[in-house]
Order: sequence, then C-alpha cells, then structure tokens
Amino acid sequence: MRALHTAASGMAAQELNVQVISNNIANMRTTGYKRQRAEFQDLLYQQLRRVGTQTSDQGNILPAGIELGAGVKTTGTPRVMTQGALLQTGKDFDVAIRGDGFFRILLPDNRISYTRDGSFELDAQGRLVTANGNLVQPTITVPQNATTIAINAQGQVSATLPGSTTPTTLGQLEITRFVNKAGLQAIGDNLFLETPASGPPQDGLPQADGFGDVQQGQLEQANVEAVSEVSDLIAAQRAYEMNAKVISATDQMLQSTSNLLR
Amino acid sequence: MQNAQLVGLSRQVALQRELDVVANNIANLNTNGFKADGVVFQEMLMPGVSANQFPAPDRRISYVHDRATWLDMSAGSFQTTGGPLDVAINGQGFLAVQTARGERYTRNGALSLNAAGEMVTPDGDRVLGDNGPIVLLPQDQNIAISEDGSISVREGSNATLDSRRGKLRIVTFAQPELLQKEGSSLFAAPAGVAPQAAPPIVRLVQGAIEKSNVRSVVEMTRMIEVTRTYTEISAMLANQSDQRRAAIQQLSDIPTS
Repeated sequence: MRALHTAASGMAAQELNVQVISNNIANMRTTGYKRQRAEFQDLLYQQLRRVGTQTSDQGNILPAGIELGAGVKTTGTPRVMTQGALLQTGKDFDVAIRGDGFFRILLPDNRISYTRDGSFELDAQGRLVTANGNLVQPTITVPQNATTIAINAQGQVSATLPGSTTPTTLGQLEITRFVNKAGLQAIGDNLFLETPASGPPQDGLPQADGFGDVQQGQLEQANVEAVSEVSDLIAAQRAYEMNAKVISATDQMLQSTSNLLR
Repeated sequence: MQNAQLVGLSRQVALQRELDVVANNIANLNTNGFKADGVVFQEMLMPGVSANQFPAPDRRISYVHDRATWLDMSAGSFQTTGGPLDVAINGQGFLAVQTARGERYTRNGALSLNAAGEMVTPDGDRVLGDNGPIVLLPQDQNIAISEDGSISVREGSNATLDSRRGKLRIVTFAQPELLQKEGSSLFAAPAGVAPQAAPPIVRLVQGAIEKSNVRSVVEMTRMIEVTRTYTEISAMLANQSDQRRAAIQQLSDIPTS
C-alpha cells in the first residue's frame, strides 16, 4: 500500500523540521544568527483518471479525476534574513549593522567570508579581529596607546592618540551586500560564504546607497522568536505523530487482510 | 457466492486508495499552500442475468468504484512570518509561476530572490508579474507588496520616494477544482481552463504564508473510518470463506447407507 511510504515521507519531513527548529532554538542567543525555516512541497501525483478527460462524444468532460499524491519533500531550509534586535553591550569593539550588509572576514585559507556578528577584539598586533581571531577586512590597526575609540554610523574608526586633542581616523569599516542574501552558505562560526545563488558581493560603505549603518557598543541578537519556534515545534511534533498513526492504520489494514488466510 | 467476495474486494481496493489520499494529506500537514484531496466513490451496477424467467428476479449487484479525488480549495490558515517576501493570498487566487514546462499556478507564497534579483519560488521558478518576472535591484530596501500585488521599494539612500518594481500577477479560475496538482505546490491548468485576472476582492497579505488546509481532525476521523470499514469487510470476507468451506464439506459428504 502506498500509504505506508507516503506517511514515511511525512515522518521524515517532520523529523527534519524538528531538527531545523531545534537548531534555531539552540542558537537563540547567538550573535548575528539568522533563523532557518524548513519548506515543504508535495511530491508528484499519479493520475489514475485524468481530470478533463472527455467521457462522451457530446463533449462531456470529467470534472474531477483521481490523483494520488506520493507524499511530501523538503525543498530547502532558507534563512530568514530579517534584522535582529540590537543589544547594548557598551564594549568599544562591539559593532552591529542596522540594515543591509555583512562584515568581510578573511579566513586563514585566504577566502573571504561574511558575517553579521560584530563582536570584534584586537589581536596582539592591535588589528581588529573576530572572536575567532580572523581578520576583519579591510584591516584596521589600533595603536596601543590609543584611547577613546569611536566608530561612527558611517563605519569610520577613530581614536585619540596621546599628545593630541583631536581624534585621528584609524580606518574605515566596509560592508558587503548580496542580491539574495538568503542564498549565502553558512559555514558555522557565524560566517557565510558567497554562492552562485547569492549573487556577487557588492562592497560599500555603511549608510551609503542603501547599505545599513554601523552601531558601536551594540551587538545584533539572533532573529529567533521563541514563541513562533515553540508553536512550530508543537505543529511539527503533532504532524509527526499523525503520520505515525497513518502507518499503524495501514499496518492494521494489511494485518486484517493477511488474517483472511486461514 | 463469489460475488460477495468480489463486492467486498472492490470496497477494499477503494478503501486502500482512500487511505493513500488521507496519508498524502497528513504527510502534507505542514506544506505551505497545500490543498487537501477528498475521495468520491460511486456505485457501479453489474448487469443482471440475461435469462429473467426466475420466480424471483435476479437482482443486480453493485460494486464500489472510486470515481474521483476532488480538491478542497478552501483557504488554509495564515501564519505571520514577518518576511518581506512572504505573501499569502486572501481569496480565490493564485500566483503565476514560469516553469520549464510552461506557466503554472501556486498558492505557496514563500518567495525569495535569486542571484539575478528575480523573485522566485522555493524551487527557483520565476514568479510572474504583469510584465514578466519581477526583478529587484541590489540596493532596494524596504520591499512593500501592496494588497493588489504592486511591489514598491526604496532605492538606495533615497528615503522619500518609492520606486515601483512591478505588480505580481494574481489569477483566478472559474472552476479551480479543474486544476491539476503537479507536486511542488504547483497546479497546472488543463486545456480549456484559462486563467483570468483576479477581481480586486482577492488581496495579498505581505509577511504571511498560507499553511496547508488539511484539517487534521477530519483526516484522523477519515483514517479511523477507513481502517474500521476495512477490518469489517475483512471479517465479512472471512465469513464468506468459512461459509463456502462448510458448504463444500457438507455437500461433498456422500451418505454411506
């Protein structure tokens, strides 16, 4: 009976759904995390009687045919790239992007990756790095004796050096955007890579031409909403149970058939 | 006597098909834009015997025959997602989608963009506007999809003026139940079923997605009904079989006097 396999596809889909939801919930407090959503579609249909078939010479047609569906499939787990809430931290090198854009990060293998996580630190040479020690691009070096570091909304990093009363500009934070940012590939560590689906990266300055602006002393929280995740989890769990029930119902029917043989 | 078994068998085959349909509905409990299927059965009369001179006339036997699955085109519940590219259709309407096989229609409004900035379905098929696919530019922000499907954005740093990026084509059908399901949440229009522009009463809701319209309670009840009926018929068939066995044994009992 086809129902067994159909229900099995439903169980597999809901299992994946729960996996996606649990990853969202696990990353509820991850800076710059963007939640994912499992998307499902119905599988192909078998046409036992095709709708619209002519049933007589007078041109009568079937108003409805017999279509048997084969279950459900997962199309994708796209990321929902909405803005997360900004959390005030007061740290000098914590920056959040408000609006469109990603920070560019140089990976140790010289690839460029992109992130919304702006919890930066300084390395031993005074360069701006991520929490994992990867360099922020373009490189900004902060002298050891610099005080009162300020990052303005346009991404200019300035500091007051000893013996001077006016701030000196140390560098400029640049951000990058993509046509389809949901098409970026996540590689963990809050980092994303460019893909053919995302479109080519477009570099620019914060607050210019539709790019977001940069907020110092703030971090972008994950955009996971606990309420919607939990209600999705309940829906997924119930759907899983119902598919399991279909399997046991099919089993019961097959059993009663096999009991005929005595 | 075989007839009773064949009638029971015809019912069982139909019940299996019904369970297949129920299983597919339940499997798609969380599929956006999914429309549930129902099953219609009909009686199929077998002709009686041609010689009709028996004292009690031969009665005709009716078999069960599954005639059709019908599409339940009622609206599913709307889930607000807040996504700017998520649209739900309030009313009998469909989004037009350009696929490799021709134009298709969907109620799954979880749209996204591709690398060229075109609005696409989760499968990557382009969603059609009034003038072909809708293309957004990289610097477009604050995408707003109005109730009639017009898409306006703020371009770049322009904070005061909206730019129009096209209008989603919403179509409707005089008889939506004639549409054919194609999988991937797409419907195909068979020959002779032409889409028409949707009346203004069909409105789009941005930031929401239409969930599946499968009503789990109804499907569960149908499933219980199917299994119980199936079991009953199995019991009936078993009785028939016993009866026949008894008949064979007793009739073949040659009296030894």
